[in-house]
Amino acid sequence: MAPIRDHSHLVNSLATSTHLETSASQLDSVPRHLEDSIRYETSRLSQAAGILLSLPQEIIAQSIIVMQRFWVGPEGGSMLEYDPQDVASAAMYLCAKPSGFSLSPRSILTTFECLRSLNCKYDESLIEKGPFETEWRLSDGEYETRREQLYKVEAQILRTLGFQTHVALPYTLSMNYLQTLEAFHDDKGPVLARRVFAHLNSALLSPQLLYLTHQPCALATASIYLAAREVGALLPEAEWWEVFDVEREELGFLVVALRSMEAFAVQEKRQWESRVVPLTIHDVRGEIERERMLEADE
Amino acid sequence: MPSRWAETAEDAAEYAKRKAEKEEKKRVKAEKQQQQQRQAEEEEAQRAQARIHNNDEDAARPNKRRRLSPTQEEQNNEDSTGRPLLRSTPRTWQPCRSIYHFDLLNHIEEGSYGFVSRARENATGNIVAIKKLKLDAIRDAGFPVTALREIQCLRAAAGHRHVVGLREVVCSDSDSTDRDRDRGSGGGKGSGGGGDGRDVYLVMDFLEHDLKTLQEEMVAPFSPSEIKALLLQLTSAVDFLHDNWILHRDLKTSNILLNNRGEIKLADFGMARFVGDPAPANLTQMVVTLWYRAPELLLGAKEYGACIDVWSLGCIFGELLLKRPVLQGQNEVDQLGLIFDLCGLPSEENWPGFKRLPNARTLRLPPSSSGKGAHGPTIRSRFPALTPTGTSLLTSCLSLNPASRPTAKEILDHAYFRESPRPKPTALFPTFPSKAGQEKRRRYASPNAPIRGEAVEGTGEVDFSSVFEGKGEV
Repeated sequence: MAPIRDHSHLVNSLATSTHLETSASQLDSVPRHLEDSIRYETSRLSQAAGILLSLPQEIIAQSIIVMQRFWVGPEGGSMLEYDPQDVASAAMYLCAKPSGFSLSPRSILTTFECLRSLNCKYDESLIEKGPFETEWRLSDGEYETRREQLYKVEAQILRTLGFQTHVALPYTLSMNYLQTLEAFHDDKGPVLARRVFAHLNSALLSPQLLYLTHQPCALATASIYLAAREVGALLPEAEWWEVFDVEREELGFLVVALRSMEAFAVQEKRQWESRVVPLTIHDVRGEIERERMLEADE
Repeated sequence: MPSRWAETAEDAAEYAKRKAEKEEKKRVKAEKQQQQQRQAEEEEAQRAQARIHNNDEDAARPNKRRRLSPTQEEQNNEDSTGRPLLRSTPRTWQPCRSIYHFDLLNHIEEGSYGFVSRARENATGNIVAIKKLKLDAIRDAGFPVTALREIQCLRAAAGHRHVVGLREVVCSDSDSTDRDRDRGSGGGKGSGGGGDGRDVYLVMDFLEHDLKTLQEEMVAPFSPSEIKALLLQLTSAVDFLHDNWILHRDLKTSNILLNNRGEIKLADFGMARFVGDPAPANLTQMVVTLWYRAPELLLGAKEYGACIDVWSLGCIFGELLLKRPVLQGQNEVDQLGLIFDLCGLPSEENWPGFKRLPNARTLRLPPSSSGKGAHGPTIRSRFPALTPTGTSLLTSCLSLNPASRPTAKEILDHAYFRESPRPKPTALFPTFPSKAGQEKRRRYASPNAPIRGEAVEGTGEVDFSSVFEGKGEV
């Protein structure tokens, strides 16, 4: 088979086993479960901010993936060195910049600041109360410090990734696949497509870092497979995923991973019900300290 | 509507039929196998008998016949896993290396984007070009978007033979940062740097020449066959970019590098960006160096496409022929005037809709344009040495109407490149002293051979008395 050119727009750079083995945060003694929670929470924060800033989902997804790339590996960024929320805003600022949807530092900083004030209860707050009652504004001094920090973290992200900010996404690919499978000849087509996108969006939040370990074609295929099962859409009996260059084993792994997302989200919600996920160096340190005390008590 | 993949009665029938066929095949196969087995047994028995008969060593040897076809088991395995799936070689990322892995050799040039130097990689001894970016976080709102686009575009175009290779991006060391920061805190804001005072360098292929400097140094212009070879290479790079949805937006001779093997590489993607189809609205018109800027950009078009790069290609083509830039305007107004001098005046016929472009309202065309049409293109008379086919290519690249310009692909197929003289093979290109490599034209210090006639005159009458002068004291 002809090899795909290195930077084809369908192919992503993937994390190596060294990247996945450990992370700078873990080396700084951040427990793995806390790292997962923080990563999940910052990804949710990015998703919410992206929606408020009316960014296309591609850019939101790209910024979440860039952020995840930043956190992995012993040479990556540590959550005790960079405020997780700053990394989220800088990643989004960076990804929006060369696209047609660039953001001003002020709008992105204000949005993140405003969302932080909701203490991670974005969905409830946004749905129930609607838009914000009070006008949000950063003071000039505050804005300047934050902006300086934004630029600093942006440069750090670029350096850590070796400027590898190119991200290939599975969204359009999945639509092509659905069309190839003639899924839209079925009445269930649109429902299926929506479900596929939903899975692709949840996969962004996966603690298994699916977008860092699997190519877009595999993610698209797995989402279609699972979504079709869920909505009861019929797909060919044959091993159709091979047409999209996905092996049965990889497909199985991804489907299990996608299905585990719900349980993970529920557990995260329960765990942090009464508390707030730490998103600054200071809070992360506090949380580690708290856990240590609890352990000592036992 | 039922799904394409729903089970229908027909499907069931088909399925049953296929099943029956399969069964039948299986049965036949099994029979064949049995038969083969029987045959093999018979053969074995015969051979055993033969062995008994002649007791020959040869016959006792195990059967060494090479298997020519895979056994049934293997065949079955292949059926389940043998379908080849497309696999990509996964790439990954790693933090930028430090600039201290490189030895800066000499300065090459400075542009608005940064400084370019020749350098040597310590570990390998490879010679590279290093571009130090001018960073100013406050001015550029963080890391400059142009540099981000340049890196993205160069990465996307990596591997094309005629696009300069971006080998890696390196940074200055953190040690120097701390020093910078200390200094910065003393005297207000730390100057420059990408948000935190560290410099960023692009490490690229080093090529000996750029076309602009080279042409300035050359005595005579490139020959027609050389021009064709250069233009073909350049156009193939532009075609590749356009195929990958990249507009270069700053094609000019100083951005075209040439090595001593006659190979061109396109460089400086600081203006480049990704576009889609349809092209994004509200692209900036502040692109392309003035002399290479297409008329629609001068007239303020907000939507433009690959045609602006083709215009620049036309300008470069002309420049290679004349050995100097074709349209050297002083400013936008002058530039547009020069374009109209060369290409004729625009009209509703040759450029429908040009009057609706933002800056066209202030344009006062001389009344004669509609009348006698005396002011047609003067390309033919300006390039008298060019063949008619060549002139037609140049004229089409320099069409005022962007829609009439050929695509890069069409240029590659143009008859101009097939007519004599054919493009020169790159291996036959002349070499030149490299300015970027700090080479000088070699001066021949050895004296000339004696000239006939003159020599005769001098024989026998040379005074050698001074040969040992000054050495005699020894």
